[in-house]
Amino acid sequence: MSAHAPGPRIQPRRTTGIPYVLIVPAVIALLLGLGYPLIWQFITAFQKYGLAQQFGKPPEWVGFDNFADLLWNGEFWAVLVRSLLFCVVTAAVTVVVGVLMAQLMNAVGRTVRLILQVSMLFAWAMPVAAATTVFIWLFDRRRGVVNFLLDAIPGVDMNRFDWLGHPITFFIVASVLIIWMSVPFVSFAVYAGLTQISDEVMEAAQIDGAGAWQRFRRIIVPMIRPVLSIVLLLQLIWDLRVFAQITLLKDAGSKSGDFDLLGTYIYKLGTAANDYGMASAVSIIVLIITLALSWVYVRELIKEDEAQ
Amino acid sequence: MKRKIGALAAATAALVVLAGCAPSGDKPNPDDAKGQDITFWLMGGDTPDALRDYLKTEYKKATGGTLTIEEQGWGDALAKLQTALPDADNTPDVTEIGNTWSPTFTTVGAFSDVSDLYGELGGDKLLKSFVDVGAVDGKNYALPYYFGSRYVFYRKDLYSAAGVEVPTTLPQLTEVAQKLHTDSLSGFYIGGEDWRNGISWIFAHGGDLAKKDGDTWKSTLSDAKSVEGLKALQELYTSASNAPVTEADSTPWVNINTQPNAAAPESATIIAPGWAHWSIGDLAPDPKDDTKTVATWNDDVFGVYVLPGVDGGVAPVFAGGSNIAISAASKNQAGARKLLKIIFSPEYQKMLGENGLGPANSDYVSSLGDDQFAKALIESALGSKLTPAAPGWAAVEGSGLLEEFFGKVNAGGDVESLAAEYDKKIDALLNG
Amino acid sequence: MTAVKLGRIALSVLAIVLAIVWIFPVYWMVNSAFISTAVLQQFTPHFFPGQYFTWSNFTGAISDGSFFGALGMSVTITLLVVAVCLVFAFLGAVAISRFKFRGRKSFVLALLLIQMLPAEGLFIAQYKMVSSVGLLNTVVGVSVIYIAAVIPFTIWMLRGFVAGVPAELEEAAMVDGLSRFQAFMRITFPLLAPGLVASGVYAFLQAWNEFTVAVVLLPAESAQTLPLWLRGFVQASATRETDWGQVMAASTIVAIPVIIFFLIVQGRMTSGIVGGAVKG
Repeated sequence: MSAHAPGPRIQPRRTTGIPYVLIVPAVIALLLGLGYPLIWQFITAFQKYGLAQQFGKPPEWVGFDNFADLLWNGEFWAVLVRSLLFCVVTAAVTVVVGVLMAQLMNAVGRTVRLILQVSMLFAWAMPVAAATTVFIWLFDRRRGVVNFLLDAIPGVDMNRFDWLGHPITFFIVASVLIIWMSVPFVSFAVYAGLTQISDEVMEAAQIDGAGAWQRFRRIIVPMIRPVLSIVLLLQLIWDLRVFAQITLLKDAGSKSGDFDLLGTYIYKLGTAANDYGMASAVSIIVLIITLALSWVYVRELIKEDEAQ
Repeated sequence: MKRKIGALAAATAALVVLAGCAPSGDKPNPDDAKGQDITFWLMGGDTPDALRDYLKTEYKKATGGTLTIEEQGWGDALAKLQTALPDADNTPDVTEIGNTWSPTFTTVGAFSDVSDLYGELGGDKLLKSFVDVGAVDGKNYALPYYFGSRYVFYRKDLYSAAGVEVPTTLPQLTEVAQKLHTDSLSGFYIGGEDWRNGISWIFAHGGDLAKKDGDTWKSTLSDAKSVEGLKALQELYTSASNAPVTEADSTPWVNINTQPNAAAPESATIIAPGWAHWSIGDLAPDPKDDTKTVATWNDDVFGVYVLPGVDGGVAPVFAGGSNIAISAASKNQAGARKLLKIIFSPEYQKMLGENGLGPANSDYVSSLGDDQFAKALIESALGSKLTPAAPGWAAVEGSGLLEEFFGKVNAGGDVESLAAEYDKKIDALLNG
Repeated sequence: MTAVKLGRIALSVLAIVLAIVWIFPVYWMVNSAFISTAVLQQFTPHFFPGQYFTWSNFTGAISDGSFFGALGMSVTITLLVVAVCLVFAFLGAVAISRFKFRGRKSFVLALLLIQMLPAEGLFIAQYKMVSSVGLLNTVVGVSVIYIAAVIPFTIWMLRGFVAGVPAELEEAAMVDGLSRFQAFMRITFPLLAPGLVASGVYAFLQAWNEFTVAVVLLPAESAQTLPLWLRGFVQASATRETDWGQVMAASTIVAIPVIIFFLIVQGRMTSGIVGGAVKG
């Protein structure tokens, strides 16, 4: 499938009901699975809703109180900033490493490429719970092989180093885990893009005296740009919402709030501290922030869509 | 569709309210439980299989119905309890519940009033601190299931090598631990975030976690006595424990055991719940399955003592254990009440004791035996204290504030300012 | 010439090293799964099972009794989610890439928005909804939630593929006397196979891996899925020292079906992903 296939022509020959019939199953599935929870969440964000309400006491309307409380809540802002930082760094490193790996796949021979691809396929196939558990074991304070290997380097004392015990190293482990799991997706996507750049173009550029960097900048980047931008957007959205990995790592490390990201923070507010009103308010704020951050892209997408 | 859901949800809520308000006059008679199939949730794996089988058999005999026991992991228990308990169609009929969570769930009306059964199930003989956290306005909702107070395990060989004796006061304990402490050996191994053990130091100095002032609960970490206790704990941790500051009370005994490959133990002293003694000793391959190891207690190497008070005697330690209650939303109240009767029967109470779990009824405490473990357990339980019976206590625990606070104290933070800061945070949750 | 050759060799070596680094966690999981706990408890790691090789971790994990039930639940849920998502998303993708209609823009925007919403605050509402229609502890109850979570992205992905098949091809077929439906089925559909595979992989991974919704919606022991089963082993260690051998064996077991699935669809997957991504 080529990146420059002729664009589809949409033919509104007759206004028919066909498109509506086609989207009905998806819309029903979305309404069934998400309709009630989303409405509930939106309403709850404006209520005082705790365990007593869960057991039948009527909830009390509090207007924007939950949101106002959050504005003055230092912990919320700390978690938000931490999450944004974590998400940007992790997504950026994922995409950079993914592109480099794709370039490498493109540059090496068939056998070596296959070895690299198979090993990445295994990483990609690892279920989140299993992968996180394995990482906890790799970085275990006492018997983890990472400490064992690092400690074996002369002059490095990593015996019993507690990776999950300090926020910075905790988030390094979390980030490495997520990068490890996400890079295969990125590099496979980019690699497939690279294979569509014809050899003639590259050879012609080389004959014209373009260096490796120039070829990368002028030919490769523009060609894989659509892939890159969408992959980066997806990684940003996914890394901002990351929950499973952080919650499992926290189970093995600390319960302290210094190790929370937005996902675990919302879970803690709601399920653990029974303040569903506040948890819903945070969820809505996160939605707004994500939308604000990705607005440029969303607008472009809609524009492009209308142009069709 | 959505309207239907709304209507159903409303109906469910109404049912819950009805059940919660049912006049205690027409309590279902446990003898009407003919053929009722009920579900009982156990938290974690502390209740041995033999006891589970006993309950199933006895319940069948008594009612002809089936008792289904489902084990819930502690980690997910809070999420499951708060969703399932209000839901008449899916609630467990009877559930074990962490004793510290009892006030929260009792206050919101999650449980049925069992005041009328209280006398029959043991009355004043039941462990009082556990009964208190499960009672509201003089009515009983959650009753004690078992207790497991914490006491101290130590290595005799290391104590004698260092020329120290078993301490008899809390300050002495710190001194002893400091003498034993080296870079590779914890004099007293306690995790920085281990608040369940850490609060014993607050209690021992006469402090408290929270007090009721009129109708509202107030966190009292910054009271002079609490601060004194926290400082003593901080001194012990910083000068005698090599445990990570982020470690809570998971499995401290791995540090005290004798390793099969003769690696040196990493701690001379730990504090742990009584049943930990099954896991403490000389590790060796399991004769039944040599891929696993078992610990064999060795009296020459290991010993126990109770945590001493500031001026001697016994320090009030955290009273670990569980409560048990009937879900207010349960449709099988009669069967559920029958199950309570079986659990509080002399036979079952004795079985708890024989398996190292402190029985709820003090008449059967002797079933724990009279070995050193039973003695230490009973002695430490006598003075033990529970967390505050505040409606919002489960939220305080759930939000991880205590781990955070104790971790920061033990990391060497300023106790007074931290205590004031966390008093505020805890106050916000304490009253539900 | 030799410089170029040397460079190639250096790159190959680098690629092999990276391959080893990347597969190492997977290798370490399998390696630990075959070493007895008694040996793992020692402080020196073993890089090969060697003389310590044992199946006991696997037999121990499976003999727990709930394994086959959990496997059955996971497989059923995953297949249902993948099948429903592919069909529904395919129809939706055709609608938005082949037709212009009122509400189309809102639909596309909604698909994007849904992905940005954090799901961690929804458990209570999801429970109420599923339980009120009596679907707690059932495959259908949890699948309804998963399908709604997976469909937006699959539509988005497939839309690029449908758009990538030139409408001219269909028109040509229609000139040859095929109906629009026939033309679509004969010409366009086969070209979409890679896209369907890529979307299927995504749906498969989501349904197979999920465990936070499952904790709440599948509370009964008899209804647990494989990730919950695995979590049981990890949680048991709250009161016992972690039995790493058994936990790694359980992790391996949970990963095996995904790896098999990936190897089967592998060839089509890479081309599928790029097709979808390029057209966004």
